[in-house]
This record gives sequence, C-alpha cells and structure tokens, in this order.
Amino acid sequence: MSRNSTQWRQKPKLPSTHYADPAIYSDPHLFAEEKEKIFKKVWWLAVHESELPDPGDFRTYRHPGDAELVIVRGEDRRIRTFLNICPHRGNLIVYTPSGNSRNLVCIFHQWAFNGYGECIDIPREKAGYQERLCKNDVSLKEVRTEIGFGGFVWVNLDDNAPPLKEEIGAALDYMLPELQAEPMETLWYYQARLKTNFKLIHDTNSEFYHDYLHIYNRVTGMLKPDTGYFQRRYTAFPGGHASVGSMNVSYESFKASGRGRLGWPKLPPNGWKLVDLFPCITFNLRTSVLRIDTYIPLAPDDVIYEFRVLGLRSDTPEVRRQREKDSAVIWGPFGRNLHEDLLASSGQGIAMANGSEAMYVLQAREEDLTIHDEIGMRHYLAEWSRRMGRSAADPYASERVAARAA
Amino acid sequence: MTQTVTRSEVEEFVYETCARLDEKDLEGFLELCDAGFSYKVTAYAPEIRREMTWLDRGRGEIEEFFKMLPKHNTDQSPLTRHAQVTRVRIDEAGQRAEVNSTLQVFRTRLDGGATELFAVGRYIDIVAVREGRPRLLARHVKLDTRDLGWGTHLPL
Repeated sequence: MSRNSTQWRQKPKLPSTHYADPAIYSDPHLFAEEKEKIFKKVWWLAVHESELPDPGDFRTYRHPGDAELVIVRGEDRRIRTFLNICPHRGNLIVYTPSGNSRNLVCIFHQWAFNGYGECIDIPREKAGYQERLCKNDVSLKEVRTEIGFGGFVWVNLDDNAPPLKEEIGAALDYMLPELQAEPMETLWYYQARLKTNFKLIHDTNSEFYHDYLHIYNRVTGMLKPDTGYFQRRYTAFPGGHASVGSMNVSYESFKASGRGRLGWPKLPPNGWKLVDLFPCITFNLRTSVLRIDTYIPLAPDDVIYEFRVLGLRSDTPEVRRQREKDSAVIWGPFGRNLHEDLLASSGQGIAMANGSEAMYVLQAREEDLTIHDEIGMRHYLAEWSRRMGRSAADPYASERVAARAA
Repeated sequence: MTQTVTRSEVEEFVYETCARLDEKDLEGFLELCDAGFSYKVTAYAPEIRREMTWLDRGRGEIEEFFKMLPKHNTDQSPLTRHAQVTRVRIDEAGQRAEVNSTLQVFRTRLDGGATELFAVGRYIDIVAVREGRPRLLARHVKLDTRDLGWGTHLPL
C-alpha cells in the first residue's frame, strides 16, 4: 500500500544514526554552514605534485571555501600556495589552470610576485606611493600547504587547523605501501559540473550496495562468491574516514575487462584497496591504476567533480597506455561504471532538490561491516553531525528549541 | 581491376558512420568498420598539460562492449553527430584515405526534448577500401570538450 504525505515524511522506525533528513543534501542555509564549519576547516587534496614538476610551474585550484588559489613550485623546489588575488586591486593573478612562469604577474597593472609570495615589482612604485607603501607591504597571502600520502598537495584555509597527518590519522595507512612505492604522476584529469549535492556522490563511494547499479560489478564480483568480494569489510577511522579491505578481483571471469595484465607495486595481483576521506576525497587503487575523486561543492545542488587517474613516473609509454586502457574500461567519461555512478547521484540531486517532497534517506543496512553494510555512510554522517553541531537525522532541532524558547 | 575510392565517396562514408551511430545502430556501425578497426578518444588537459586517452579499443573489445550495453544503465538521450569533412588524403592506389572532420555532438533530452551541445572536437579517420567499398580502419575522436557531465556509453 502506498503512503500518504504524513506517512511519507514520517521518521523511519530506526535508530537516528540510520537515516538522514534530505535537507542536508539540499538546504542552502545548511550548505552555507558547511562552508564555514567544514570546507574552510579541513585539508583539501588540491593537485598532485607531478602536475607542477619544475620550478616556476603553477596550478590553480578553486577552493570549496570560496577561495581562488594558485599553487606554485618555487626556485627552491618547494611547493607553496597563495590566494590567487592581486593585493593591489583584487584581480585574479593567474587565469590559466597551469603553466610555468618565473614570476606571477598580474595583467592589470603588472605587479609581480615570486614563488615565495613576495612582491618583486610595482611599476612606478616610488612615483605613486612615495614612502607610504612598499613591496614588502603587499606580498601574497600564503595558504597552508602540505605534501603527503603519495605526493599529493593538500591545502587548508585555516591557519589554526591541525596538521594534515593528524586529520587523516591512520585512514590511509593500509594503502601507504602502494602510495609510497614509487613516485607517481597524473595521467588523467577529468572535471564535470553536476547538478547534485557533493555528499551524494561521495555516498556512492562509501557503499558497495550499489553493485546492483553496475553490470560490471555483478559479473566480476557478485556472481562469483568465491572471489571474496562480499567478505571485504569496512574499517571506520576517527574523522569520518573509512576504508574497504583488499580483495582479489576475478577479472579473467569477464573477458571485456581488459584488466589483469598489469599491476601496481606492493599491491597483490588483481588487488583493490579503497579509502574514503571526509568530507569528499576517495583513494581507489584497483589493479593497475590509482583513481582519486575529489569534489568542489559550489552550492547544495551544484558540484565540480574532479577525477584523477595516476600511474608511475617510471612507466614506459607502453605501460602508460595499458594503465589508461585499464582505467577506461570502467572509469572515465566513457567507462562502464562512472557513467552509471554519475547518473545515479545526479538523479538523487534532481529528486531530492530543495523544496521537493523527499523522504528520509536510509543508510540502515547492517551486514557485519561487510561491503553491503552502510556503515561507511553512517560513519561519515556522524562526523558531519559532529562538525556541524547538528544531527543529520534532525538538522533543525536547535532552531525548534530556540523557537519554543522565544 | 581494383576498385578505388573517390573523395565524395569517402565523405559520404564518414557521414554514414555518423548516421548509424545517431540511430544507435551499433551493428550497422560495425558493418562499416574493418576487421582491424580501432577506436580511441583523446583530449588534451591544460590542467596537467597532457594528452589523455579516455577510450582505446580494438574491434573485438568494441563488439563485446556493444553486446553488453543493453545490460548497462545508460543515459538514453539521443546523441546527434554533425561532422564536416575538411580534408581527405587518398593514397596513390586509391585504397586508403586519411580523413579529417570537424565534429559537434548534440544531446537531446528525452524529457522535454531540449537540445544542448554535448561535445566538440574532430574525427581523424583512416578509411580503407575493402572489396571496392570504404571501411573504417581507425577512428580517433580528438575532443576539445573535456567536461562531458555524467558521460556516455556510446561512441561519439
């Protein structure tokens, strides 16, 4: 029997940890709060160091905390990050996503800055400012930057945030041997603008029950119970992070997979390791390719989805081609799975848009922490609730209390 | 006497490949492809300053994928390919042609029928003559567009 409006909006008869109010995926006020309490406080994986290999190389990054950043490798080879804004009149300094330049020069009035963020030239400085202002007064704003966990460049807008290692904790430990085996390099960078909430896409990486979405997963894993596919378990780490145990994927059972010939140093043949980091970063190492998903939330229903594929710097052209082929089979804009994943999370974004009659979202599967258990999502939302000071199941409780008091 | 191919036949052939893909006639598309057909999609990413190969398949891999496609969840919105052949280089024997075309791909949403530009780029084709008829030996789709949204399972 179908439900009426009251029944439809009733809270599920489950612990409040096992469902979420759909408003957390669509409310602009909650999104604005996420920006202050989460986006501006956490470490974001911005780029990989291979994307700026030489002194003078730079990369731009649109930070989810509404900051335009430029990441620079200085003459001392150290990577630093600055706000990509000229301290003179607030223009973007760098317009292109990458490049190499001895100095960063603002096109507007040719103010120039070096890789240390120091202002090194102000045209007609003395004529205009006399002794009232000098180059030392107008250096760039530096943003905290750390390199870690396989050469990734992480940034944090909060000068007082704990160090990166403290925030990640032990979540990436079981992938560290593979991440640190050899220097890596970015082979693909794919960016897509999607009309959905960033947490919904990250949810898809946090639960494997959506195996049912993918013919590929059903054939390679679910129909072969002896592969150990269902025996993989989630491990939850402090901070909302979670990992899924390694498995040996029976790719040979699926002749169109193209996988299985090439591996990854330290990873068992046909192995697979996955780590989800709060608030929306996924490390996914599958046989021969490391895939990194990151997100740039722009609005509750608008997100830039970033997708990287990495190989090894030592790869020959032939090996690189094979890694790209392996990746293309299931990932990438023409891959079997990515299209399905993004269709599903975009469909959620449409159906649960702000003002819709969406119901409470269930994350209630309990299967002894194995992969169809939804502990990954529950653990994530526990951290979200802690940081927001709101329950994901009842995000407006404090407003209700305040209204009653008034 | 060996039959050769003319420029106009090559042009018509490229447009026919587009038409069959537009109609989602994947078997019909494969009929236009040589036994040694290869297909790849690349794009240059200024972010990482590299050429990326997003798809790289031989004929057998494509056939296998096409057979499995009905079992996938895929965006059913039709794609319409508009190619404009810009250069045809036919070898002296008239047996092989290198063909460059500009390409625009439009997507028409099933719900409401709005049409939007999905991708722009180029076809770089190798067309071979087999038993007097043109056959696609290789297609390289070189994309300018890099944001393809939720992507597609269909070849462009």
